[in-house]
Amino acid sequence: MKFKIDWNAYYWPALAGFVILFVGNIVANPIFISHDNWRPVLLGAAPFIITTWAQTVPIMSGNGDLDLSVGPLAGLVNAVMAMTLPGLGITDPFSMIAIALAIGVASGLLNGFLVTIVRVQPIIATLGTFLTYQGLTLELLPISGGTAPPWMKVISGNVAGIPGVFFVFVLIAVAWWLLGKTAYRRNLLAVGGDIRAAYTAGINVIWVRIVAFIVSGVLAAITGVVFTATIGAADPTIGNPYILTSIAGVALGGVAFSGGQGGLLGAAAGGALLFLIENLFSLAQVSIYYIQIAYGSILLVALALNSMVDRARRRKAQAALV
Amino acid sequence: MSVPALKETPAPLPSAAPLVEFRGLRRNFGETIALADCSFEIQPGEIHALVGENGSGKSTLIKILSGILPESGGELLWDGKVTRIADPRTAQQHGIATVFQETLVLDQLSVRDNVVLGLDRLFRRVHSVADETKLVREALDTIGMNALDPAMPVAALSLAQRQGVTIARALLRPWRLLVLDESTSALDVDARDRLFEALRGFRAAGRSILFVSHRMDEILDVADRSTVLRSGRSVATVTRAETTTDGLLELMSTHEEAQAAEGAARAVPNRALGAPVIAAKGVALLPETAPFDLTVRAGEIVGIAGLEGHGQVAFVEAVAGLRRPAHGAVETDQGAITSFSNAARAGIAYLPRERKTQGIFAPLSVLDNLTISALKRFAHFGILAESRRRAEGRRLIAQSHVATAGLGAPISALSGGNQQKVFLGRLLALNPRALVLNDPMRGVDLGAKQDIYKILEQFASDGGAVMLLSTELAELCLLCDRVAVFHNRALFAVIERKSLDVQALIAAMFGQSGASRGTA
Repeated sequence: MKFKIDWNAYYWPALAGFVILFVGNIVANPIFISHDNWRPVLLGAAPFIITTWAQTVPIMSGNGDLDLSVGPLAGLVNAVMAMTLPGLGITDPFSMIAIALAIGVASGLLNGFLVTIVRVQPIIATLGTFLTYQGLTLELLPISGGTAPPWMKVISGNVAGIPGVFFVFVLIAVAWWLLGKTAYRRNLLAVGGDIRAAYTAGINVIWVRIVAFIVSGVLAAITGVVFTATIGAADPTIGNPYILTSIAGVALGGVAFSGGQGGLLGAAAGGALLFLIENLFSLAQVSIYYIQIAYGSILLVALALNSMVDRARRRKAQAALV
Repeated sequence: MSVPALKETPAPLPSAAPLVEFRGLRRNFGETIALADCSFEIQPGEIHALVGENGSGKSTLIKILSGILPESGGELLWDGKVTRIADPRTAQQHGIATVFQETLVLDQLSVRDNVVLGLDRLFRRVHSVADETKLVREALDTIGMNALDPAMPVAALSLAQRQGVTIARALLRPWRLLVLDESTSALDVDARDRLFEALRGFRAAGRSILFVSHRMDEILDVADRSTVLRSGRSVATVTRAETTTDGLLELMSTHEEAQAAEGAARAVPNRALGAPVIAAKGVALLPETAPFDLTVRAGEIVGIAGLEGHGQVAFVEAVAGLRRPAHGAVETDQGAITSFSNAARAGIAYLPRERKTQGIFAPLSVLDNLTISALKRFAHFGILAESRRRAEGRRLIAQSHVATAGLGAPISALSGGNQQKVFLGRLLALNPRALVLNDPMRGVDLGAKQDIYKILEQFASDGGAVMLLSTELAELCLLCDRVAVFHNRALFAVIERKSLDVQALIAAMFGQSGASRGTA
């Protein structure tokens, strides 16, 4: 099959925005793309991008699904990695990564169970787990502390001249690409597009949605590992800012909030956009409060545009059905 | 998927062991009985038609068979064993493939993805992409749609092509019973002929088809036997030799309906007709459907009828300004209707079908519900004149014959019929020029119906125009000066009062002109 560029794809506006802001950052500060700067830039962008990915998958499954617990879950994993596990004498990479991923899967199962079986509104269910994780994190780690195990230098340092965190992105991208080779991504788009069509066609809609939350939990847990590597310790409040940015990143990435449309490419651009904006603001030495105002406004504008596109799509679909 | 070219095969012997048997199948939703008592069987290698008018229970039966609804009672025997079909996936595992009346497709996905949808497990793909493409091509070829590119997004497809996609989806499954729930209505003649030819091939191979259609010519053409449902009961199963259009139409209409319609002939309304209030000019609901005109004059009650999904609801919504027709416009003396608020300004008051979710305000009182649309009339610089509002509330209660404990009672404490009368009162408070009613007698008890009839007749006598969409045919015969019948998403016939009866309505709804047979 010949490779063809799909000019109607959802991700073009996000990629265009990304390129513009990327160039903007270079113009404002040419050092931005110097080799020495790669590592801090990628480490700084990583939580924005990975939490946006974590948010994207439940949102793609539609039906109001979203995961407010991504940031606090990353914070909880950070506390477990830097404080609890070293305290128990567990510092080898395999056990630690396995435990981090297990926490992510467990969180996804819990959120998915609450949303699809107990049928709590997703926004309320994940607000509940968000508060629970936050409390749990503060119980494990009342103030910043702990230390990251030495092997995490692989993520925070350079490997063969390339920042280690870059390989984390590559691993996630490859995993997502492999998932696209299975039936899951088609099932996900179907459930997000029209849950009745998916159900009557024989798709197990409950498990499709639960798996979306599991993917979200796993990606949030990976963010927690990256946090630990980045700051070399644990900070109980580190995850919270990324709840809002993950949602803003999804909206900027062109992922439809009504579900059934989107992917990790657009979401990556959306998450990276937020980082680039923050970077520009701090270069200009603008107060942190203005950055917050900017995020809030961007979220509102992106959501407004998103719902306009959604409405146009719904109207078109309705007109076809008489 | 190859279809052997076969001559007409004889109907199977009824003595063979049936593939499916329904024994007194029942289903109710709260107090509403959708399926009262349904018993018939489908033989292997049989094309079995299921006929009945709106609300006769066809869709409920198909939903039970497809695992979407559980039955409330009775038995379903699959292969001679009592079986409960828990969900659509289980239905498919048994070998039941259903094409629903709604074209359930996903706009964002490709034709291929839409056709193979649901074959896979959560992660495991059953076929490779190359195999999928080949299978999809073959399935589409069965209905003569092999020109469709499997990689194309469904968003670009016409309604007929979308329906083709849903049919191909069912054909692709390893089915023993194919259920077609009025899924041929949007197909063009060529695709339909190809499908019927394929169905005959499947029948010859011993597979069964349950076929719901509202087209008599189709039923006469392909069905070996036909079962007629009426008010949730299976009233008769007739063989091919016994089947005639008139016979089926007669079996479908109830005696009560016939009696009510006879009674209706009594009082021919003698209202003075005024100027046109609503005028549909050259309205086409879809780009490909036929345009039509329809006028409702002051003092006139015009009924709107049609089988589910034949465009009548879309038309009424267009009159209310809730959707725009593909061509033409609905006009009032204020110009064309373009939005709900613009229709309201032109004096059109709309009563939607879903009273609970789109009609009443359940937490509010009867008085609030009556006056909420017309609050401006009682306001002085934004302050409500409470005594005038209460007086108007009392007047509306009397006018609408509402039985209530008082103006302050919560509306949720009222019966469905009284809630509907309050809702009508709220519309009347607007002093509208036209009432556009989308099935107002749904879930309304007999006494309240009589009151609503009186309200509508009074409104028309006072010079109002009424557009009444109803699924109860006897009621249309009783109230209307004429009834516009929709078929295939366009206006099919307008039946004047002098020739208005339930038989004529059913015949027109099924696309028969007049009561004569065979003239589709």
